[in-house]
Amino acid sequence: MKKGREQLKNTRGKITWRNAIRRDKWLYIFLIPFLLYFVVFKYVPMLGAAMAFQNFKFSTGFWGSEWVGLEHFKRLLTGNSFGMILKNTLLLNIASVIFGFPIPIILAILLNEIRCQKFKKVTQSIMYLPHFMSWVVLGGILIEIFSPSTGIVNMILKNVFGIKPIYFMGSNFWWPVIFVISGIWQGAGWGTIVYLAAITGIDPELYEAAKVDGAGKLRQILHITIPGIAGTIVIMLILRMGSMMDIGFEQVYVMMNPKVREVSEVISTYVYRVGIEGAQYSYTTAIGLFQSAVSCLLVFTTNAIARRINGSGLW
Amino acid sequence: MKRKANTKVKSSYGEKIFMAIAYTIVALFSICALYPFINVLSTSFSSSRAVGAGEVILFPIEPNLQAYRQLLFDGQILASMKNTVLLTVAGTTFNLVATTLVAYALSKPRLKGRKFFVGMIVFTMLFSGGMIPNFVLIKSLHLMNTFSGLWLMGLISTYNMIVMKTFFEGIPDGLCEAAAIDGANEPTILCRIVLPVSKPVMATMVLFYAVGWWNNYFNPMLYLSSTSKFPMMVKLKQMLDTAKMIEVSAAEGLTQTYIAAETFKAASIIVATLPIICVYPFLQKYFVKGVMIGSIKG
Repeated sequence: MKKGREQLKNTRGKITWRNAIRRDKWLYIFLIPFLLYFVVFKYVPMLGAAMAFQNFKFSTGFWGSEWVGLEHFKRLLTGNSFGMILKNTLLLNIASVIFGFPIPIILAILLNEIRCQKFKKVTQSIMYLPHFMSWVVLGGILIEIFSPSTGIVNMILKNVFGIKPIYFMGSNFWWPVIFVISGIWQGAGWGTIVYLAAITGIDPELYEAAKVDGAGKLRQILHITIPGIAGTIVIMLILRMGSMMDIGFEQVYVMMNPKVREVSEVISTYVYRVGIEGAQYSYTTAIGLFQSAVSCLLVFTTNAIARRINGSGLW
Repeated sequence: MKRKANTKVKSSYGEKIFMAIAYTIVALFSICALYPFINVLSTSFSSSRAVGAGEVILFPIEPNLQAYRQLLFDGQILASMKNTVLLTVAGTTFNLVATTLVAYALSKPRLKGRKFFVGMIVFTMLFSGGMIPNFVLIKSLHLMNTFSGLWLMGLISTYNMIVMKTFFEGIPDGLCEAAAIDGANEPTILCRIVLPVSKPVMATMVLFYAVGWWNNYFNPMLYLSSTSKFPMMVKLKQMLDTAKMIEVSAAEGLTQTYIAAETFKAASIIVATLPIICVYPFLQKYFVKGVMIGSIKG
């Protein structure tokens, strides 16, 4: 019996906490302060989201605020503004996925075919550039070039096509279009990196064999490259689905204006406007909770679908 | 590379068309991505008259430095740049120290409780309290309107920590063990052995974090209240907003102030991005490398 215990102690990973801490004293000294940091700055707010079930006021604090149960969720489901922001969030996301998701894949496939290294390097550098710009800057530039009076786009429309200036940023039709374009501008080039890495992993012999069989470039892409990166595409799609309920605050906020509130107000901007500026903390926390719950559901659903179709998902 | 030699054999007509299309699409996309920057750059150097008449297309028209002079005179952007530099330099330093220590500790398979700690940290990537609970926390800790609050909010990016941990795990155990046998303790091993071989990943981290701080708009906007503490992006947004309001009110007839605002706006945008554009060509390879290290794991 005793002997067995001794042996157990000696096998890897079975030492007692006391010995482990003594042995790896420094590692724990490195780690513990930051674990505490994670508890305070990440886990406390997570639990603090329970204020969605109270009428939180700073004057009474979390522990002193009155508990109201599901009242805020009821208000959320019966009020009319929530429908609008939910619709906007989903529509803008769906449009971004439909028009934006395939672009980095196509660009990566085309970039991979390009043999002139100089051309490839220069175009890649340019494509990645917008990713490193703040949304404030990108938004400012977009407003500038789409301006009805001095913007280049309207100048071209007027001088080349004879079309009257369009106030793009103030139109309920054009604003979402420009929103989607802005997402592509900022992210598509950068998004190619993942797919380029995946393409590098494809066995070159497959292409050799295809060539021997007389397959042209297009067929090689359709039958080798695309199946070769299908796994990556699925993973990226699942990850993207996880953020279907989420539109980055900055991207919308820098481009929106009162004229297009009806199509541009999304969950994050609404939470900011009503929650922070309007001090309705509990109501907007309820919105946040609802959003997280739906995101979770979406990730699990897409993953399940991906597993059924593809045989493998994210987990 | 092997393929290149073989394509010589038979480059069919269809193949050539395909290549032409590939080059064209890639070139077009790059031009579209770059052109807005060039247009704004040229606008900032043009005369307000030319901008108002919509003459600026590719090159500055009637080039002058009026907008930049105005920007210097106005001084707001430059004052806020000081805040941004402070936020970025100190913030990145804190990030590096924190990320390195956590990643190093968690990269050791022998660490008891490692799985739990990693899980606990990764969990925060999937779930977060959200905007309002974070705001309430910062306010309750009396960190509103302080840089410390911002630094704490952004102390560790879980994604970056995992990238670094993956890199550390790739360092041969023998290196560290040999030093341990020689009696070196962990801080010494970390500084003398691990850090010197981790330069590439460190460079990537510096860049990711620094660009993040430089571009950050939301947190400073949310947590800072005094104008004197505003970093550049918050200031820039304010300036763009004032100009936008004039645009809305003067939708039809152009006023002189508005046209002047246009070149001024363009100049502020350029000044705010200049540092990134300047370092970008040199650092680009590290950005890409960082994503590669991260995606291997994912």
